[in-house]
Amino acid sequence: MYMIEVKGVTKIYGKKDNAFKALSDVSFTIPDGASVAILGKSGSGKSTLMHVMSGLDKPQTGQIIIDGKNILKLKAKEVDKFRSQKMSFIFQSFFVQANESCYNNVSLPLEIADVSFSRRRTRVEAALKAVELIDKKKAKARELSGGQKQRLAVARAIVNSPKILFADEPTGNLDSITGGVIENLLFNYHKKFHVTLILVTHDPELSERCDIQIHIKDGIVDAIKRKKI
Amino acid sequence: MKIQSIVIRAGRSLKQAKARTILTSLAIAVGAFTITLSLAAGAGGRSYTDQIVKSNTDSKELSVTKTQPKNQQGPQKYSPNFGSTALSSELGIQTVLTQNDIEKISKVSNVVSVSPDYNPVIKYITREGQDKYIASVSTFSPSVTLTYAAGSTNGDIADNEIILTEEYVGALGFKNAQDSIGKTVEIAADKLSAPVTAPETKIFIFKVQAVSSKSGLAFRSQRSLLISNSAAKNLYDYINVDTHSYNYFLGASVRVNSAENADSVKNTLTGMGYTAQTAADILGVVNTFINVLQGILLGFGALAILTSIFGIINTQYISVLERTQQIGLMKALGMRKRDVGRLFKIEAAWIGFLGGAIGSSLAYLVGTLANPLISKALNIGDIRLLIFNPLSMIIVVVGLIFVSVASGILPARKASKLNPIDALRTE
Repeated sequence: MYMIEVKGVTKIYGKKDNAFKALSDVSFTIPDGASVAILGKSGSGKSTLMHVMSGLDKPQTGQIIIDGKNILKLKAKEVDKFRSQKMSFIFQSFFVQANESCYNNVSLPLEIADVSFSRRRTRVEAALKAVELIDKKKAKARELSGGQKQRLAVARAIVNSPKILFADEPTGNLDSITGGVIENLLFNYHKKFHVTLILVTHDPELSERCDIQIHIKDGIVDAIKRKKI
Repeated sequence: MKIQSIVIRAGRSLKQAKARTILTSLAIAVGAFTITLSLAAGAGGRSYTDQIVKSNTDSKELSVTKTQPKNQQGPQKYSPNFGSTALSSELGIQTVLTQNDIEKISKVSNVVSVSPDYNPVIKYITREGQDKYIASVSTFSPSVTLTYAAGSTNGDIADNEIILTEEYVGALGFKNAQDSIGKTVEIAADKLSAPVTAPETKIFIFKVQAVSSKSGLAFRSQRSLLISNSAAKNLYDYINVDTHSYNYFLGASVRVNSAENADSVKNTLTGMGYTAQTAADILGVVNTFINVLQGILLGFGALAILTSIFGIINTQYISVLERTQQIGLMKALGMRKRDVGRLFKIEAAWIGFLGGAIGSSLAYLVGTLANPLISKALNIGDIRLLIFNPLSMIIVVVGLIFVSVASGILPARKASKLNPIDALRTE
């Protein structure tokens, strides 16, 4: 059973003379519960691929089948619902809400997914415990260090028990030690809950830990390496 | 996303920009303040005139004048019977009621009595051994509510009785109001038709029956001395007999047998060429005036609100720009377009609520403190000229919330249309 199937996806930015092919006829499959690294230089189209796979961006042609459903055929409302229930994101620059408390940062995805207040509390606290930030529950996110902020972002990403976890250069803004902590958090979570983990990175060490490596070059799949399990 | 969660998030993000939120809502507060005060003043004014008219008029009484010729521009053409149909007054030349009219009116069904407005112009009032004072004399009407400093009336007064005002008590050398009761005063009147070379003056004696005190509800007779209708007729007859305006009256008051018939009598009289006003009509005229004044004040309030609308739009636009990243993240996490828009509209609603609440409660506070001062300055006793109606205050606040939400629509639309990929590409 595949979690993600990408079939003949082409994404073009701009029009006519300025047209730029970010993705050109990209196809691959990702099984349920796999860890995937999308590798490539900047401008290769790896971020675009992530956006397209998560329904944030719409390619001109092709199919994106997630958990058996072609998300390109869904209405905007349904794609939003899909994202709030099945996907999560971790970004290079954290994107935590500096003015909000840690608790409210983590609670946001649950509020969007209409989880009741009492259930929100247990799940937010569990997520904060998992990233060892429970003692910072009431602290404002701006008071945290870079590593702590990314841990908070991980808590926010796992709180709604997603099936797919997208991480866009999650360690890009961190030193190697704190980056290592985040890496371990992500891989442990991936193994423990059998979550499909998709990492966009240009860090070869990080990609070594993944089951599948998809190399993107100039909008084309250059190579797919699968570890033998 | 549940509305409740959105409301809480909106409230929190406003709290994080306290200064901006408060300043924006202060602009609305100015409008809310003006509107609440003008509503209070309107309500107070209307209730005040209502009380005045109710205590000075009777619903069984009509005030009747001859209907004035319309569309009359410039001076009126002379006609030989001019002198007998028109009387000049401070309002200009007015067509008058004659004895003939009075009789015609009294024959209308349901009319109990017709008494012309005598308003005799007396020469002076005095008392033995005291100075002479000028005074105006009016007819006492049982339907006019008076408050007495001393003495009282049993519905009506006898023809030789007079009601003084407090001012004349001291002037006429009485120790106090109580002291004057039962004493006599003299009113002197000139016969106008007497030749200049041989003037005729007659003294009329009256017994003081009561002393009226100044009342916030007094309408016209604040400074008039009151005598009975027939005593007024007596005076009037003596003064005006044989003059060209004798028995021509500017108006008359018509008593109807019941308040229900007042309107039908009014219609009959209108058909006969008279203008009749009921108590409600007089109230209506005064209230129109108050409503116009209130309308002007409300206009100023609306202008302030209009200005604050641009303030809200501006604030919310800046807020959307500042929070591009946050909006992008929320959308990436699956927040619906509609909910993003709602978040910003509800923030605007919060601002409107805050402004409305600050403005109207400030108006309430200022009004409550100012009420006794205004009453004192206008000398109207303990009558409140500003009446705050909780319902209209709630309507003001709710109305402002709606106005704010409406002005938040454009920025909210901008937020909801933001592309999450662009929003998150902010390195």
